[in-house]
Amino acid sequence: MSSFAETPRLTPGRTVLMVVLALGGFLMVVPFLWMILTSFKTLNEVNGFAWLPNQVEWMNYVNALKAAPFATYFRNSVIVVVGQTIPVLLFCTAAGYALAQLPIRGRKGILNYFILLLIVPFQVLIVPLFLVVRRIPLAGGNDILGNGGTGWLNTWAALIVPFVSAPLFTFLARQFFVSLPAELADAARVDGVSEIGIFFRIMAPLAAPAFVTIALFNVESAWNGFIWPLVATSSENLRPLQFGLATFAQGQGSVQWPFLMAMSALATLPMILLFIFGQRYFIAGMATSGIKG
Amino acid sequence: MSTQTIDRPVVAAEPRPVRRRRNGVERAKARAGWLLLAPSLVHSILFIALPGVMAVYLSFTNARVAGQGEWIGVKNYLDLFQDADFLHALKNTLLYTVAVVPVAMAVSLAVAIGLNQKIPGRALFRTLFYIPVVTSTVAVAAVWLWIYNPAAGLGNQVLAFFGVARSGWLTDPDVALPALMLVGIWQGLGAKMIIYLAALQSISPDLLEAAKLDGASKWQTFWNVTWPGLAPVHFFVLVTSIASSFQVFDLIYVTTGGGPANATNVLTFDIFSNAFERLHLGYASAETVVMLVFVGILISLGRLSLRGHREDL
Repeated sequence: MSSFAETPRLTPGRTVLMVVLALGGFLMVVPFLWMILTSFKTLNEVNGFAWLPNQVEWMNYVNALKAAPFATYFRNSVIVVVGQTIPVLLFCTAAGYALAQLPIRGRKGILNYFILLLIVPFQVLIVPLFLVVRRIPLAGGNDILGNGGTGWLNTWAALIVPFVSAPLFTFLARQFFVSLPAELADAARVDGVSEIGIFFRIMAPLAAPAFVTIALFNVESAWNGFIWPLVATSSENLRPLQFGLATFAQGQGSVQWPFLMAMSALATLPMILLFIFGQRYFIAGMATSGIKG
Repeated sequence: MSTQTIDRPVVAAEPRPVRRRRNGVERAKARAGWLLLAPSLVHSILFIALPGVMAVYLSFTNARVAGQGEWIGVKNYLDLFQDADFLHALKNTLLYTVAVVPVAMAVSLAVAIGLNQKIPGRALFRTLFYIPVVTSTVAVAAVWLWIYNPAAGLGNQVLAFFGVARSGWLTDPDVALPALMLVGIWQGLGAKMIIYLAALQSISPDLLEAAKLDGASKWQTFWNVTWPGLAPVHFFVLVTSIASSFQVFDLIYVTTGGGPANATNVLTFDIFSNAFERLHLGYASAETVVMLVFVGILISLGRLSLRGHREDL
């Protein structure tokens, strides 16, 4: 991203462009604005149409939190996000570094394998993944061959373990490490640093932007995940925030819109804030993974 | 730091010359390589490659959740193409993809070009367009459900403003799918825009400058310099957009549940219902294989159509 030393001059053309973009930008955030405004209205008020609430109903947020076990859902989402993201960071960057900088036999083939996996839609995997998780040996009452019990279904493992690594992030990390000069590692080798030590002490710190990008991407996707928790769990004690929202929204006909909008705002805000603080890295990450396609 | 990540040319490291006799350092490197690669590789085999192969196998069985399936050959596939619900879901998914992908690509490219100009507030605009991408589809779906509320939603107010008759939106079988397409375009815009923006910024300023010196108009510069430079990115955006529009699920699940009258039933929703409501895993797996084939066909078509621009695609 180039930065501008001077403030750009406003020509007529640029002014028109700005107005168009401002209008477009406004359209992008209107739904969120509408969500926030509704979240402060009374139940009666939402029967008619008005932009602004008559009086600000802060209590909607409190009451919505009480209407469903949202505190539990929230905690569950946090556990899943942390449980996935830490190993993702470790495994994917390590694999990315190995694929980029270390002389592994068949490296090109392995890289192509990861790229191929990138294209497989997650929906294709849901049914067999459900079976894999159910047949994990010696878990949930299963015998050594994975028969008899429920395996990892309805456990934290089901929500976390299948996502502790992802081809997308391995690929992204590889793209990043490829651009680091190998001379750095050679210098460390001369100093007697072990190969693993080179990764952890020399390369990983240099790859901080890649780490942040991967972390942000993974936090977003873990936080927003929906279909898999729906399939792999049935206990309220494990289900994430998105699930709570969905149940709330589907109370056909009897949806309490102000509550639902309050909950949506609470579920949305952390990710928006995270994005705003981390957006430089997000965009860098998209660039490294995108351009090389 | 992000600046450097983008500006630095991303060039694949040349493989080291393979020596006939690998010395100790090379061996140590390879060992470390395998060690570092192992978790990700093993994980991908267990939780992606193996399930992928299983999906294909299951599609030839009559597996149900409770028990093992028996091999029944291509029966599932034959049944699928007699199944009105499936055919409807397939049609809806294709309609959704064909409508959403090109529109979203065109609009996101236009926005990216706009944001690539030197205008004040670029960072803010970029954020505004990207925010729908980072928010969960479930929350987004809930909001749009409220916007499309026939009685008090924002949608009908906008129609009224333009003097158009009120709509039932998601309760009207003719309107429901297009209404959800609009949400899809809205939500996916930012992701494509960011990729285009990054690509636009990587196009050599020298080339643009040279075109300018040669007296090329803005349009000529765009078609002769910028557009060819975007070819590989078009392909990337096309592939990811097709894949993600085939995967639309959360939106449908929360808003319409496939209704009204099957009008918004899409492949993933039908797969979900067959697998986890009707408990017919074999049949649902056949559906996923068909979905994969369609994604593959569309990606290949996209690849062919872009071949002319770039040889190494």
